[in-house]
Amino acid sequence: MAGVAVYGAVTADRLAWLVLALGIGAVLLLVYGLAAPNLPAIVAALAGSAASWSLSAWTRGSGAPGGTILVATATFVAAELSYWSLEQISVPDEPELLARRAAGLALRAVGALALVSFALAALGLNAGGGVLIEAVGAAAVVGLVALVYLLAQAGHEQPGR
Amino acid sequence: MTRYATPKLGAYVVLTALGLLAALVFSRPELALIAAPFGVLLAFGLSHSRPPDVRVHLELDRERVLEGDAITLEVELDARDTVSRLELLVDVPRGLELVSGRNPVALRLELGEDRLIELRFLCARWGAYRFGEVHLRARDAAGLFAWEETIDRAETLRVYPRPEKLQALVAPRETQLFTGNRVSRQKGEGLEFADLRPFATGDRIRRINWRASARRGELWVNEFHAERNSDVIIFLDSFADVRRGDAGTLDEAIRAATSLSERYLLEKDRVGLINFGGVLNWLRPGTELLQRYRIVEALLNTEITLSYAWKEIDFLPRGTLPAKALVLALTPLLDERAVSALLDLRARGFDLVVIEVSPLPFVEPEPGESGELAFRLWKLVREGRRAEYERAGAPVVEWREGIPLTAILQGVSASRRHARARAHA
Repeated sequence: MAGVAVYGAVTADRLAWLVLALGIGAVLLLVYGLAAPNLPAIVAALAGSAASWSLSAWTRGSGAPGGTILVATATFVAAELSYWSLEQISVPDEPELLARRAAGLALRAVGALALVSFALAALGLNAGGGVLIEAVGAAAVVGLVALVYLLAQAGHEQPGR
Repeated sequence: MTRYATPKLGAYVVLTALGLLAALVFSRPELALIAAPFGVLLAFGLSHSRPPDVRVHLELDRERVLEGDAITLEVELDARDTVSRLELLVDVPRGLELVSGRNPVALRLELGEDRLIELRFLCARWGAYRFGEVHLRARDAAGLFAWEETIDRAETLRVYPRPEKLQALVAPRETQLFTGNRVSRQKGEGLEFADLRPFATGDRIRRINWRASARRGELWVNEFHAERNSDVIIFLDSFADVRRGDAGTLDEAIRAATSLSERYLLEKDRVGLINFGGVLNWLRPGTELLQRYRIVEALLNTEITLSYAWKEIDFLPRGTLPAKALVLALTPLLDERAVSALLDLRARGFDLVVIEVSPLPFVEPEPGESGELAFRLWKLVREGRRAEYERAGAPVVEWREGIPLTAILQGVSASRRHARARAHA
């Protein structure tokens, strides 16, 4: 995430210090979130890092710079690693599980890279969107939140063993 | 199994929603792109989440062990489905220490896999433990949901106090009617020579002392001391316990009670137990191996129960304290009720020996002058109690942690011999 902050600051056309400050603030928040441990701080740190990159992209005026692929992947990997390390506080993984999880994480990172590359390519082909697409996007967000809420509510089920 | 959403699910939902909304509000597509992997993982995790199916079988290699022994707990896991991450925690009661194996442990189980986990524990402290409660927590592949279950296959593990090898015992003043290993003051069948007397009708020929008979010109026979058993009552004062860390006066007293009861039973004496505390327990005197187990079981259940009720020795049922019994009291001399009950026993003519399980190694004076003064006063009160017993004719010996009990018992025997010699003189 520090890399994201520095990369964002270096590539920004203006407000580089603000981008860097936002990125470094996110890194510090992540460090605190992992050390405390504090889940909202981790979420805020990840959001802060994304905001830092978004600000950098805005200063350049482009729709979505190519570096977004790396930034999105890095943010995702940072989030996965953060929650993985939080799990290790209660019960550390066995060595074989550790290796498997590392391989799984690498696979997810590659998946994220491919996904964002594909999405970026698609966005580049059809940039701009429109009111209809934005309305569909907003509805999708609301739907996603509602779906997750319902699933979490249905949580405490106790099937027979 | 109880399912719940992990904090990761909430965090990823928030990140995805924030990213998508911010992308819409600020018209920044890169925010939507950054949120995309989180959204995809959520979709994958929510659609593939299934409860784990794991069977657990526990086996403890022994149910009865001695303090200091090690036991092995085998946890067999049989996965009916792949479990991405299974955390397993065996509830370990205080008094048991893990010496090998990992607890808790996190592992992955493949479909149809049988996994055996061996955990080895050191039984550091005596007691009756319920052992074998296992907590399981499984997570799905994406780590968005977790399932928890507690499996209670607890069995009772009995850790008996390791008895000290006692070289000497305090000999009871009086013996009973049954045959045993103690030389009685009464004459009868035995090996220990007692006296000579003129031959009488019915005496066995092999008891004639020919040398004495030749000197006296008439038949004289040897008389022997009968070999009898005796009754020993172990009086355990469980009103109070002074502890520091893992050690305390009650632990010491219970170890001593175990050692004493085992050794007296080996001598064919009848041994009984009075557990005099917040809860009153007793065992009538008995012999043999069965009584040894009864005593140890009773001792394992000993605990400090807070009670303000005054208790007297009269509460004990008839037969618990047989006449002419030797009463060996193990007490920290802290509770007035136990002190008074023991004096009452002595007043009733019981042969009483007080082994004071000293609480001094477990206490420290409060810092400051008043603390020091209070500590000295407390020690003086204890001295006064000891003097009270001495006046009543009951020897009190102080036993501190680290000193062999044999040495203490030898000291008691010696002081009783001197007291008897002084009385005869």
